[in-house]
This record gives sequence, C-alpha cells and structure tokens, in this order.
Amino acid sequence: MGGFFSSIFSSLFGTREMRILILGLDGAGKTTILYRLQVGEVVTTIPTIGFNVETVTYKNLKFQVWDLGGQTSIRPYWRCYYSNTDAVIYVVDSCDRDRIGISKSELVAMLEEEELRKAILVVFANKQDMEQAMTPSEMANSLGLPALKDRKWQIFKTSATKGTGLDEAMEWLVETLKSRQ
Amino acid sequence: MTSLGSPGRMYTLLSGLYKYMFQKDEYCILILGLDNAGKTTFLEQSKTRFNKQYKGMSLSKITTTVGLNIGTVDVGKTRLMFWDLGGQEELQSLWDKYYAECHGVIYVIDSTDEERLSESKQAFEKVVASEALDGVPILVLANKQDVETCLSIPDIKTAFSDCTCKIGRRDCLTQACSALTGKGVREGIEWMVKCVVRNVHRPPRQRDIT
Repeated sequence: MGGFFSSIFSSLFGTREMRILILGLDGAGKTTILYRLQVGEVVTTIPTIGFNVETVTYKNLKFQVWDLGGQTSIRPYWRCYYSNTDAVIYVVDSCDRDRIGISKSELVAMLEEEELRKAILVVFANKQDMEQAMTPSEMANSLGLPALKDRKWQIFKTSATKGTGLDEAMEWLVETLKSRQ
Repeated sequence: MTSLGSPGRMYTLLSGLYKYMFQKDEYCILILGLDNAGKTTFLEQSKTRFNKQYKGMSLSKITTTVGLNIGTVDVGKTRLMFWDLGGQEELQSLWDKYYAECHGVIYVIDSTDEERLSESKQAFEKVVASEALDGVPILVLANKQDVETCLSIPDIKTAFSDCTCKIGRRDCLTQACSALTGKGVREGIEWMVKCVVRNVHRPPRQRDIT
C-alpha cells in the first residue's frame, strides 16, 4: 500500500531518485568520477573495498550513485546491486589495452543479467588526457558494443582528473532518463 | 467439427491464432548519415508520431551520438526496430557491423550543408556498394527542408547521380523531410514498411508483443 501511494506521489511530483551504478575494473577511475560529480573536486582515493554511495543532484534530477569496488575478488558482488538500476556507467581506462579484454568480458557478463535488461549503458572512456588513449570506435570494438542490438549505449571521452566530458555525459544522462520516465 | 478433430490441424489453427494475436513481424532499420544530419532527431520524431504514449526527448536537447540509439515504431501488424548510429567519420567504421541483420536503411542528408554534401555522397556510396546490404531497400531523407535556403530534392539527386548505378536492383526513394517539424516523416516510414514487407529475401524476425 505504501508503495502504491509513493508511486502516485512520485508520478505527481516526478521526483523519483534515479539509481546509477558506476562499474569497471580497478584503477579505472570510478571513485574519482563519483567525487568529481558530487563535490566537483579531485579527491585522493584509495582502492575501494566495498562501495561508496552518494546522492548527486543534477538539473533537478536526483541520482543515487553507487561506486562499487573493481578488484577481481570483489567483482562477483556487483550483481547484488543490480536491481532497479536505471543506468550503468561503465568506466574504462582508455590506456589500459592489456586489460581491455577482461573489461569486455566483465561487461558482457553484466549485461546478460535480467535485472539490467532495461538499464541504459554509458561508457566513460576515461583518462583521455593521456597520450595513446583509445578512440571511441576503438573502445566500442574492443568492448564488443556493436553486438548489443537491443540496448541504447553511448560513449563519452572523459578525464576525471581534468574534469572534462563529465558535464556533457551527465547532461545526456538527464535528458535520456527524463524521456524514459 | 470432424476436420478440426485432427490434432495437426488444430495445432496449425491455434498457432496461427496465437501469432495473429500476440506476435508482430519485426524489421530492423538502420539510420545512417554524417554527424549532424539529424538522425537522432528523426528517430525521436518518428517515435513521438507513431507512439501516442511516448513522451519524446525535447528535440533541442539532442546531442551528438557516440553509440547507438534504439526505438520501435508499430505500423499495423509490422514493427520497425530502429538502430540509430553515430555519424562521425571515426564512428562510420561501426556501421557495417549491423548490415547483415538489417532489413532497411534510412540515409539522412543535411540539405543545408552544401559543403559536406560530397562527403555525405562518399559515405553513401560505401553503404550502397556493400555486399552485406544487397537488395536492402534504402530511403534517402533530404532533411532540414524547413530551412528556406536548403538544397532542393533535384539538387541533391544531381549531386548523388553517379551513385545511381550502384544502387542496383532494390527499392530506393529520395524523400524531402524535416525531422524537426515532422514533415515527410510519416510518408518515409510508411514507404519503408511497404518495402521491407515485400522484400522476400530478408524475412522478418518474429517477436511477441510486449
């Protein structure tokens, strides 16, 4: 019953919090991105064991953003957080060509989950400030994105430390999620 | 009643009924063209025009696509599933990954951009020359016709004239359109539906209606 009233309430006032997961391998820059979005500054981070969660407001839309640790041993726990997710921000280190294959297989496994069937996929090709960074088409091919035929996806070139590309990406996410409501 | 008694016939009848009630023929349509031609705007406009409940994206907020946008439009018993791909030069290398599975191509041209018309023609040439798209109907949309100073359909046809021989034996139509105002959108889509349905070489996928 409570759920019924709260759904009426949110449809009247349109303030449902969006649930976003930030995922990716360790060292991709997930935590730096989360705090860039939240406080607008670069914070010193240590490898995340567990998760960080923050509420970020952007253009009147509230996001609950979960940043989950990316190390091999804790990746199996990602799936505990999948339900009710509106969008997945998948962060990839654009210079880490050695591990792009692992990044791909984690992504493919994740997208097979029924709970994420309707989630939008946003790939952050991070660390674009570095030389030798992969281009979007290179990234798309390495991650096997052209095989996704039933899901909207978009790549943004970002640099979490320089702060580039993040505003653009959030703006896009806001507009996309609004039209889906 | 005796004729219905045979289980084989009964099955055919029931499965036919099930198909009629709960399934649609689904065709995949690729939307291609240079960046800033208006592909995503066309997709959003189509979704808004054909789905009454759909609250579209505000067209002014559409930005550059670096990826894939999808959308479905139902026309009678036919469902079109759109794949709208990024058009930047670097991203054009991804286009052919979708050719084998698509039933039709919509190629969007910015009629106000005379400077890049030859670039657009070159990209179009590559598309029509592709073997994986053999016999697939192509709708060429001369977009942005709401702008007064735009190129006319004859202008564009002239600029694209040396592609004609490469088009080969397939349905091809050049249609004036404004994705922004919606002019020509319905006509284009209805033409596409007609063509993909009659193209026996690429049968539809069957999908349950959800």
